[in-house]
Amino acid sequence: MAGLSSPPLMRGQLAAIARVRFQLFVNGLRTIRGRLEVVARGMMFLMFGVAGLGGSFGLGAAAWYFVSHGNVEWIAVLLWPVFLFWQLFPVMASAFSENVDSSNLLRFPLSFPSYFIIRLVYGSLDPSTIIGCLWLAGLTIGIGIAQPGLFLWAALVVLVFAVFNVLLARMIFAWIERWLAQRRTREILGAVFFIFIICFQFTGPLMSRYGERRHPDASRVTAQALPYERALPPGLAAAAIARAVKGAFAPALGAFALESVYALAILWLLNVRLRAQYTGENLSEAAARKISVKEESARRLSWNISGVSAPVAAMLEKEVHYLSRSGPMLFTFVMPVVILLIFRLGPAGTPGRQSNFLSHTPDLAFPVGAAYALLILTNLVYNCFGADAVGMQFYYVCPVRFRGILLGKNLTHALLLACEVVMVWVAVCFMFHPPSVDVTVATVTGVAFALLLNLTAGNLLSIYTPKKIDYGAFGKQRASTTTVFASLGIQFAVFGLAAVTLLIARAFGRIWLAAVIFLVLAGLSQSLTPWC
Amino acid sequence: MDAPAIETRDLTRRFGELVAVQDVNLSVASGQFFGFLGPNGAGKSTTIKMLTGLLSASSGRIQILGLDLAQNPVDVKRQIGVVPEGMALFGRLTGAEYLNFVGRMYGLDRETAGKRTAELLDFMQLADQPKTLVTDYSHGMQKKLAMAGAVIHGPRVLFLDEPFEGVDAIASGTLKAMLQRMIARGATIFLTSHVLEIVERLCSHLAIIHRGRLVAQGSLEELRAGVEAQAAAALASTSPGESAVSAPGEKLTLEEIFLRIVGGTRHTEQELSWLG
Repeated sequence: MAGLSSPPLMRGQLAAIARVRFQLFVNGLRTIRGRLEVVARGMMFLMFGVAGLGGSFGLGAAAWYFVSHGNVEWIAVLLWPVFLFWQLFPVMASAFSENVDSSNLLRFPLSFPSYFIIRLVYGSLDPSTIIGCLWLAGLTIGIGIAQPGLFLWAALVVLVFAVFNVLLARMIFAWIERWLAQRRTREILGAVFFIFIICFQFTGPLMSRYGERRHPDASRVTAQALPYERALPPGLAAAAIARAVKGAFAPALGAFALESVYALAILWLLNVRLRAQYTGENLSEAAARKISVKEESARRLSWNISGVSAPVAAMLEKEVHYLSRSGPMLFTFVMPVVILLIFRLGPAGTPGRQSNFLSHTPDLAFPVGAAYALLILTNLVYNCFGADAVGMQFYYVCPVRFRGILLGKNLTHALLLACEVVMVWVAVCFMFHPPSVDVTVATVTGVAFALLLNLTAGNLLSIYTPKKIDYGAFGKQRASTTTVFASLGIQFAVFGLAAVTLLIARAFGRIWLAAVIFLVLAGLSQSLTPWC
Repeated sequence: MDAPAIETRDLTRRFGELVAVQDVNLSVASGQFFGFLGPNGAGKSTTIKMLTGLLSASSGRIQILGLDLAQNPVDVKRQIGVVPEGMALFGRLTGAEYLNFVGRMYGLDRETAGKRTAELLDFMQLADQPKTLVTDYSHGMQKKLAMAGAVIHGPRVLFLDEPFEGVDAIASGTLKAMLQRMIARGATIFLTSHVLEIVERLCSHLAIIHRGRLVAQGSLEELRAGVEAQAAAALASTSPGESAVSAPGEKLTLEEIFLRIVGGTRHTEQELSWLG
């Protein structure tokens, strides 16, 4: 074919993708929403920048200290957190990372090397890689300042460690993408992810609870674990540097070689995964679907809720169906109880040991749990049309006023919060002790005020800055950055008002006074509510 | 005499400087199967969005079944059914849940909504996958479900934006059977489609929009007669070497009528430099 070079130039394709990303960014600035999004992302970038540079300085100082005090092997203690952050943060905050949709790229005549490089380069432009690189750069500089002769060797070892991390993160995401390609595996992955997150939350409390106890087997277990730690990339990188300092160049080279082998092995695994994508694997949902028999469930009647109009009841039913089919959402809803459990499992406040504040003031357990329940609803309340996606168009063609639709949504969220608050109250009764009537009433009225204010602001932001989300998909429940910042500001205001109210009530020695103030504030919030 | 099912007066929609639809005067009688045609970007979807209340008009008036859409949006919406361009489905509901939801939103009681849901799923051959979510449906199944949702409340006027796009012959047959049933019970159907063969077969009346303006309106025969009369007049004023618009005894197809009205020519002879 005339004019078509064979194979197409990789450089041209990479440039075309870079250009289209830039054009998408520029075109995004045409709308006010797009501009706000850029400002919000700029703030996010600043926050990550501060984290990256601060961490870089801290790691550099620590590395300098270890090397100049003859404890070079302790560098492993610095490399392990970098490794864990690099690999876990993108998974935990997957909303931040934009995965390249391979099906879009595969339409084009890309060679496999082009495809591989595009996936690697564009996939790696995420906060964890940038922060990880900054941290490792700081660490290397710290080593170089402590022992200038070691700088080049340390830089090489750390560079391979960074490459290993980049490749491993991409490989993990390539596999996650494989599982996300099908709805069922996506939902299973979402459930596994949240179980992991919940388990991860218990690490700190359990460590602080049991970590300080002298266990006879602890030292033996640590000693047994050390060889394995040294056989893994962070340990190997630290060993390669430490042995070079001690003049043991052959073992240093051996550790470095083994570290490189890890990187190559991950590269090979990533290559296998991406080649499968490149050659066109069949991930269609239809292949997994089984034709089921006609069932009576098709004739199931919709909900009948007395005192509620049919459209509002229908909205409520639809929302409940959506939420009940979302693994990530269901796990999110149990988080307030998990948080209370984390506090409960924390140090019990025995003399001479640090303890968590709920151990001292169990009366605060119910308000804290209820406030957390409110916080986890934020994403839902502030982007309430996000999960409807194209279905939102239906709301404009059906003969229901928008007020009714919002009422249905708000009713769902209010019911959800009510269930959460009851669940938290029961959990507090079991884990701490039943909250006093004063505290219960003040908390419930405070939640009512906060809910009304959040629903009002949430309704407006849901309409003005909606973002399509997928309840079932892992990491796709985040609202737009503008909404996130706006909701954060509103939460600060709500919690500030609540704190002032509680302080006033405390000053007068009457907790019930807080309930009265909250009721007044709730009344004021309701007067602002557009759906009333 | 009954009010027209759909009537517009000087309907105009501007997007900044761009006039997408200008002074459109449509009149669709009750019981008509009405085809609304136009080239890409002519203003079809903008018009249908205005007629269904999805988009406000910059100026002009819309009456549906004698009701002013701007003044009685909810009353109008209660009597119409819509399959919009993007189908507006809720992916994480099952087909039955979706239809029940739509029925309830249109004010049907739960028994009626349930009964009609079961009938529609059966009719549309969607009943054998009751637990499958809409997001997992094929494109054709989604179209059938969107159509079922649009008719569940028994609308008197049905607006369909490209209902046959991406639909296979089997699903298309089901949809056509459904539409003909609707017409038989006195409903009015307003349809846009680029598949002119289907429009020619189904629609009794047509309107053609071009660059935002209505350029033709009437029955297929009226449009054909208009084009032929125009061609005959042009023929009389040109040299004897010019050919007639169609061979004697042969009727113009809708495609030919459409191309003549919108002034489109098929670029069959024009060459692309790199294709030779």
